[in-house]
Amino acid sequence: MPVEVRVFCGLESCIPGARSGEPMWVDIKAGESGRALLARLNIPEEKAFSFLVNGVRRDLTVGLADGDRVAVFPAVGGG
Amino acid sequence: MDKILRVNMSTGKTTTEPVPAPYAALGGRGLTSQVLLDEVPPDCEPLGPFNKLILAPGLLSGTSAPSSGRMSAGAKSPLTGGIKESNAGGIASQKIANLGYKAIIIEGKPAAGEQYLLKLTPGGVELLPAGDLAGKGGYETVALLKQRYGEKVGVVFVGPAGEMLMAGAGIGNNDPEGHAGRYAGRGGLGAVMGSKGLKAIVIDAPRTFDVPVKDKERFKTAAKKFADILHAHPVTGQALPAYGTNVLMNIINEAGTLPTRNFRRGRFDQANDVGGEKLAEACTARGGKATHACHPGCVMRCSNIFILPDGRSLGSLEYETAWGFGPNLEIADLDVIGELNYVCNDAGLDTIEAGCTLGVLMEAGVIPFGDGKAAVEALKEVGKGTPLGRIIGAGATFAGKVYGVTRIPSVKGQGIPAYDPRSCRGNGVTYATTPMGADHTAGYAVTANILKVGGDVCPITDEGQIELSRNLQIATAAVDATGLCLFVAFAVLDNPEGLPMIIEMLNAMYGLSLTADDVMALGRHILHTEKEFNTGAGFAKADDRLPEFFYNEELEPHQTRFALRDELDQVINF
Ligand code: SF4
Repeated sequence: MPVEVRVFCGLESCIPGARSGEPMWVDIKAGESGRALLARLNIPEEKAFSFLVNGVRRDLTVGLADGDRVAVFPAVGGG
Repeated sequence: MDKILRVNMSTGKTTTEPVPAPYAALGGRGLTSQVLLDEVPPDCEPLGPFNKLILAPGLLSGTSAPSSGRMSAGAKSPLTGGIKESNAGGIASQKIANLGYKAIIIEGKPAAGEQYLLKLTPGGVELLPAGDLAGKGGYETVALLKQRYGEKVGVVFVGPAGEMLMAGAGIGNNDPEGHAGRYAGRGGLGAVMGSKGLKAIVIDAPRTFDVPVKDKERFKTAAKKFADILHAHPVTGQALPAYGTNVLMNIINEAGTLPTRNFRRGRFDQANDVGGEKLAEACTARGGKATHACHPGCVMRCSNIFILPDGRSLGSLEYETAWGFGPNLEIADLDVIGELNYVCNDAGLDTIEAGCTLGVLMEAGVIPFGDGKAAVEALKEVGKGTPLGRIIGAGATFAGKVYGVTRIPSVKGQGIPAYDPRSCRGNGVTYATTPMGADHTAGYAVTANILKVGGDVCPITDEGQIELSRNLQIATAAVDATGLCLFVAFAVLDNPEGLPMIIEMLNAMYGLSLTADDVMALGRHILHTEKEFNTGAGFAKADDRLPEFFYNEELEPHQTRFALRDELDQVINF
């Protein structure tokens, strides 16, 4: 089952070939959790400060569905 | 900072006064707003002789307190018709403070067409004729005045937009390298300065960090601890220095609240092309800087130096500007955005207002969405003072009326910044209710709404937004009085040691014994002062609402509408 993943602000260095902010399709098991997805991508949990699924912030226990848009950020801010 | 400089532009007389006792514990926005309420009739004509322009460094400016060199500019706004404080980085604040001035009050009005330059040195004050600078752009003005008065001077200036009294004009000052790019941009204060016939203020101060503090050792210890707190927080210690404010582009886009195509949608497909990561790359690749301090002593260094393709150095490109000229106009090219920013800095125009205005012109079909070339051409008209240029310079609300646009993103006449209020509702509450008109900094609820800093409040429901905005507005008013950059809030909201350390610096500097309650009381007092001014200027509850289309049109991708109305009257209810 594919999900559309974007990682940002240095997290791309965890994934060979990944580029900040560019979408990647990742094949996961149906209902797989956010935590399992991070493990799959070798992103340490403590670096994944904001985990968004379809534009809504979720904790890592969230179960993912087919075609979900996932975005992972370290802590960021500005104004 | 024991004196106030008063400059009467009607008579050309300058006087230095001792600080009246009730002003002793005020600085920055606290002082500009108080002087306005005390001295300016709220119903006056903003560009007339009875309005006053007040520049005030914050309470901690000009000391070694980290990131404390912010300056407040205040006046009755020609854009909103209400009270205004606009806050700038750059090097002027520390210099004004180190010459001992707690505030500069510019009042009166000279004969039409006269232009002056105010020169401040340790030796005193001079008001000089400056007809030779008339019509000059920001970059040239700063370069000429540095040449004339020394490489290190601070220059506070207006561009042609301010001289021509355009309601979207800002007041600029230079960064340490001399870029004319640090603006007290919002609310048309450049037009107020222009109406006073004041083209520029040159500040020649040999010192930067030496404003006297009462208890030096105690102050030093507190300042050091505060710097450590800023270094330790991931936002102020890592993200801001690495990517600058434009790091927000992607997260606001992912959260679905990035205003796109004049607030039609909450996502822009090419957001990443104009975001902070790409910007940092571009800054470095062209020999600019991806991290930079807008004034000496800033430890967060969110600023940058962006070089345009032909080699001109813009200075800093910030998130709000990247959004206003980027997704808001469906322009996905950082070089075009940089060019639009350069034109604004040179004409002396607020980039947020200019972005909103171009969005409205595109909505009207005057220029097509996504057409960067047409946008640059149109914006260049501002400096020339052509009819189209004057319409653009007058701001989004006016431009919308001229072209019959009903989707005008503004509150109290001021353009809405880079977070759609429908899916970042805490900011919607702030836009509607701050006395400043739509202003994201006045109560930056993006923190708890999107960034998970200082709490966690779901951005697409109404729950908790009123309280969130209220608390942030109070705290922000207080921070704006200190001269600290508002971005310290990211660390202060999360670290219980943060606020006590700010208070410790204030107490050590002024020999006071302030508590956290006193600081919050100061924030509330400032908001009361501003509300009172606005009531006198004729503002009522109906002015504390968002434009109709935010209530009626759904925003993708969350299909949200703004719904809060009467509840908004409870925000400043203390
Ligand atoms: S954090 Fe940025 S805006 Fe704030 S004082 Fe530092 S460089 Fe200037």
